[in-house]
Parts: sequence; structure tokens; C-alpha cells
Amino acid sequence: MAEVDLSKKVADRYLKREVLGEGTYGVVYKAIDTKTGQTVAIKKIRLGKQKEGVNFTALREIKLLKELKSPHIIELIDAFPHKGNLHLVFEFMETDLETVIRNTNIFLSPADIKSYMQMTLKGLAFCHKKWVLHRDMKPNNLLIGSHGQLKLADFGLARIFGSPDRRFTHQVFARWYRAPELLFGAKQYGAGVDVWAAGCIFAELLNRRPFLQGSSDIDQLGKIFAAFGTATPSQWPDLAYLPDYVEYQYVAAPPLRSLFPSASDDALDLLSKMFTYDPKARITAQQALEHRYFSSAPLPTEPNKLPRPATKRASKASDFNPQEGPTVLSPPRKTRRVMPDREGFEGNANRTDKIEEHAGETKNADGEIAGRNEQVPTSVDFSIFAARPPSRPTINSADRSHLKRKLDLEFQHPE
Amino acid sequence: MAANFWTSSHYKQLLDQEDVDVAQPLDREKGITVEDYKLIKMQMSNYISKLAQHVKVRQRVVATAVTYMRRCYTRKSMTEYDPHLVAPTCLYLASKAEESTVQARLLVFYIKKIYSDEKYRYEVKDILEMEMKILEALNYYLVVFHPYRSLVQFLQDAGMNDINMTHLSWGILNDTYKMDLILVHPPHLIALACIYIASVYREKDNTAWFEELRVDMNVVKNISMEILDFYENQRLVSEERINAAFGKLALKT
Ligand SMILES: Nc1ncnc2c1ncn2[C@@H]1O[C@H](COP(=O)(O)OP(=O)(O)OP(=O)(O)O)[C@@H](O)[C@H]1O
Ligand SMILES: [Mg+2]
Repeated sequence: MAEVDLSKKVADRYLKREVLGEGTYGVVYKAIDTKTGQTVAIKKIRLGKQKEGVNFTALREIKLLKELKSPHIIELIDAFPHKGNLHLVFEFMETDLETVIRNTNIFLSPADIKSYMQMTLKGLAFCHKKWVLHRDMKPNNLLIGSHGQLKLADFGLARIFGSPDRRFTHQVFARWYRAPELLFGAKQYGAGVDVWAAGCIFAELLNRRPFLQGSSDIDQLGKIFAAFGTATPSQWPDLAYLPDYVEYQYVAAPPLRSLFPSASDDALDLLSKMFTYDPKARITAQQALEHRYFSSAPLPTEPNKLPRPATKRASKASDFNPQEGPTVLSPPRKTRRVMPDREGFEGNANRTDKIEEHAGETKNADGEIAGRNEQVPTSVDFSIFAARPPSRPTINSADRSHLKRKLDLEFQHPE
Repeated sequence: MAANFWTSSHYKQLLDQEDVDVAQPLDREKGITVEDYKLIKMQMSNYISKLAQHVKVRQRVVATAVTYMRRCYTRKSMTEYDPHLVAPTCLYLASKAEESTVQARLLVFYIKKIYSDEKYRYEVKDILEMEMKILEALNYYLVVFHPYRSLVQFLQDAGMNDINMTHLSWGILNDTYKMDLILVHPPHLIALACIYIASVYREKDNTAWFEELRVDMNVVKNISMEILDFYENQRLVSEERINAAFGKLALKT
């Protein structure tokens, strides 16, 4: 770092290099952190047109990533404003799982696949333990570091779920990774949606092509049913009560083995548990990690021995080269991410959504992911209070001295 | 919000009282004291509540906004971060962080409705500029835990969730945001203190229930005393005292 071009130094610390790519809300640059010598990726958040301040999606990502520190989750190293734009500094990642899967020069052994799945599920289990739903799981959002470590990235759609059945928008995930409950319009869903998506990623690793490539939501369900048989109320009791439920013509499931000729019995068993229709019966990320698939031979490949693309971070342009892995295509870019929660910018819609969200909060009966002391939330709608916060103190002065005397009597001074 | 408080940034950021009770150097130069700080922060908490009533957001958004504002002044001076701009900006930021965005121009509309005084009337661009500065002041930590859920749950558990007790303890809890408690104590202890006061006030004996909880009752009682002291001091706060505090802040150095 002898001859540094100081004009490219931002925030007195980062040396800007080439552009790495462009996402929904800004350009990502490679940069050198002059303080640590570390290579980083800086995401410059574009300012919204509508004078909305710091981009809502970016804010959500910051909020969650500041709470989620794990070896399997992308690290947000720093954030700073520069020339009116907010910049997010991430650890630099060499490639992503989509690039690995579609690179036909890479052979993925069963042990390699197991390793990628294990890291994916570890990241996911960590999120869920912290009550965060990722909601945008897909190979392109699983970044791979220089030592082969896989980390969950792109938390712009993620949300904290107060209780597992809090109401949310179902417009999340790229369609191919969307769980059936979302496709049927469920507003109360939980961590199972991420597990379904992880199942799709597992399938994609095995077959080296996206598993269920629906061209519309209806078609997506059709593809799901063609693979696993039409869902029935006996397997999934809540099915008929979902908002967008429509009856599908009955088709029987082909043997799972026929869809994944290369998979081991253990792999198939885990897959079938991740693709369980009833979200309540679906395996959790933590349970999946404890599945015998991960403890039976072959053991997962060590991350630094995993095969990776020869060229570091093949440029995006070459990714679209049709010569290269023509069977694997992402859904058209524009439709890949459906933006949630637009209500925020539209006054009235905002209100109804909130009420809905409140109505959906019910006590978590199964308590499967209860925190320690901060107990599982309850559902009392206090919006009546919220509407009229008492502007004066609640207790008047006569009460006060009376109360204080009472407390004084009872209070044992610790000295 | 659920998540786990004990592994959260909120827990890690809890401060000692003496780190909260500080006036920043730039403000001290103007003769602003810790007492003035408390008054100004209380006024600004009220201001946030008032604005929130107009734009109709949930109580938790108000609570988060007040927490942001209070955290901000443990690190930044009121001279550089004008409370009358910080308050609405914190509400704006909190509304986004709590997933119920309020438009900045709507806030500006109500700011102008509340204040006729030119110097308190800020524009959208001021709020957006301050938003970035607040984010920095908060070191980008945005998740805040509040005692409301614990409160409801405790009341239920103790069988005290009648409308009377709920209303009273909820009201006391709202009042705690006029103080810095949320920066110092874990939320569930604040909730317990509110229930403790409410039950003494309503002459409900639930000593047994409190004893069964595995919490340090001395801490709960200390928090209760702090709340009662606050109510006590409220009586002594006059309009002049508040104006005097803002007067010092307006001094040019
Ligand atoms: N930590 C990182 N290290 C290296 N490159 C990165 C990193 N984060 C992002 N990139 C690159 O920048 C591009 C844009 O990233 P970003 O997450 O903003 O959007 P995206 O995932 O491509 O699209 P979308 O916003 O639709 O999810 C990515 O495709 C990737 O090539
Ligand atoms: Mg992405």
C-alpha cells in the first residue's frame, strides 16, 4: 500500500477499488481498509427519490446485522455517511453459492454439498434463535469467503418475528424458494419458510439446477405438487384456511429418489423433512443440523478444502454468458425480489397493516424458541393506550407521599 | 419484539447511572447542568409523544424514539444536536426501525402545527440530515427492548391483569420514559417496578408472587423509588425552570 491514491480514500480509512456489483439499493465496491489492511466490500446506499431519508431496506439490514454476529452471517464491519450517502462496510466475500452451483467446471462431492448445507443451516439456526427470519434465502445470497466459509447475506427482507405467528407480508423470497404457505397467502408464518428455502438450496446443490422453477405463483405450487404430491388436509390441517387457498387437482408424488438420483438415503430423509408441507411439522434448522445426514459418512468437507471457481469473483457479465451452464438461470432480475412493506410510504395502507399485525399477535403456545428471561410475547392490543398517552404523570401528589411512605416502610436499605 | 434480551446490543449497552447523568462539555460551558438535561429530555419525551399522537404510531415507536433521543445525549451535546430537531428525527427513525414508517413531511406538518416559534420549525431536509447524524450517534444500534410485553405478561402471571391494574401500571410505565431508566435497567425490572408501585397503590398484596420471581427485589425497589422520586420532583418543576434550561441552551458562546 505504498502509493495510495488519496483521492479515492473515503472516511479517511477506506481505499476504493473496483465496482463489484450493483444491488437493489446501491453499488458495491471493493476497498481496502487502511486501518487493518483487510479487503472489504462497501455498499453505497442510494438515497431514495422520494425524500425518504436512509433507505428503509438498508436500515433494516443494518438493524439486524448489528445484532447478528456469527461465523455464518456476513459481518457488518462499519457504517458511515459520506457525501450524503450512507455506506455499509462488509467483510469481503470471494464468491457466492449461485456462482459455485452454476459453474460447470466445479465438481461437488456429496461431502462438499454436506458442508455447504451445514454452514447454511448453522447461519439459519442462529438467526432463528435470535428470532430473525431471513426471508430471502437463495444461493445468490449465500456468500463464500476466501477460506470457503459460507455466510448468510442480504438481510434487507429479514424481520424480527415477535411471535412465530405474527402477521407479515407473504411477498417475500424469490418465487422458486417460496414455501407453499406463502404461495397460499399465509400472513402468519414462521421460521419454516426459511427451512423450505434451504431445502430448495439443498436440492439445487444436488441437481445443479434450481429445483422448482415456477413461472407464476400458481405454477410454482403446481411444480411443488408435481414433486411431492398435492397437499392434503390430512397432512396439513391448516391448509384449507389459508387466504389464497385453492384446490389443486390431485397428483400422486413420484418417489423422491427419482428426483434426486445421486442423493444418499440420509440426504433424502432430510430433504423430505425440510419439504414437509405443514410448517408446524417441518423440521427446524436446529433439528436439521442434528439429523444423522450430518454425522454419517462422508463427513462434511472442511470449508477451506471446498472447490471454488478458479477466477476470483467472476464478473457478473460473464455470469450471463449462455455458453456457461445454460441449464442454470436465475429468475429474471426484476422479479427476483418482491419488495415488502411498501405501506410505510403510503399513509393509509400503513394503518390497516398495523392493525392486522396486532391482531395476528397471539401467545406462542408451543414456545419452541423461547428466549431466556424476556419471555415469549403476549398479545394484548394496547393501541387504545397508545393513542392517548397520558401527558401528565399518572399519580397525583397526594397519592405520591402516601405511597412513598408505604414503600419506605417496606424497603430494607441494603447498607 | 421477542428475541433474546440477554444477547442483544441493548443489554450490552446498558449504562451506569453516572454515565447517563452527564452534561456534555459544550453544554456545560453554557452553564447547563445535569438537572437542566433531565428537564430538557423530559420536555422532548413529551414532544415526541405529542407528535406521535398526531401521526398515530404505536406506543412502542414512541418508546424507541425516546430511547434513541436519550442515548444520543449520553454522547452528543445539545448545543450541536438541537433537541427540537433531534426529537422529531428520532421519531422518524424509530418509525422506520419499528417497521411503521411515518413520512418526514407529515412530521414537519405537525411540527409547524405545534410550534409557532420560528426557531423550532424544521424542514424535511433538516430531519433527513439529522437522521444520518443520529444513526452515527447511536453507533447504528437500533434494536431496543421495552418493558411493555413483560408488563402484560407479569400481570397475567400474577393474576392482576384486570383493567384497573393494567391501566395504572401501563400509565406508570409510559411515565418512566420521561426518565432515563431504559438506558440503565433491563426492561423486565422496569416492568416489575411499575407493577410494584401499582400494587402498593391499589393495596394489593402480592408479596408472595414477587418473592417467587427469581429477581433481585432490591433492584426492583430501587427502581420504584426512582420513579416515585420523579413523581415527587414533578411537583417542583415550574414553567420557569424549564424555560431557564432552554434559555441557557439558546445562549451563543
Ligand atoms: N460482502 C461482499 N463481498 C463481495 N462482494 C459483494 C459483497 N456483498 C455484495 N457483493 C457484490 O455486490 C453485488 C450487489 O450486492 P447486493 O447485496 O447489494 O445486491 P444483490 O444481492 O446482487 O441483489 P439484490 O439486492 O436484488 O439482492 C452482489 O451481487 C455481489 O456481487
Ligand atoms: Mg442478493
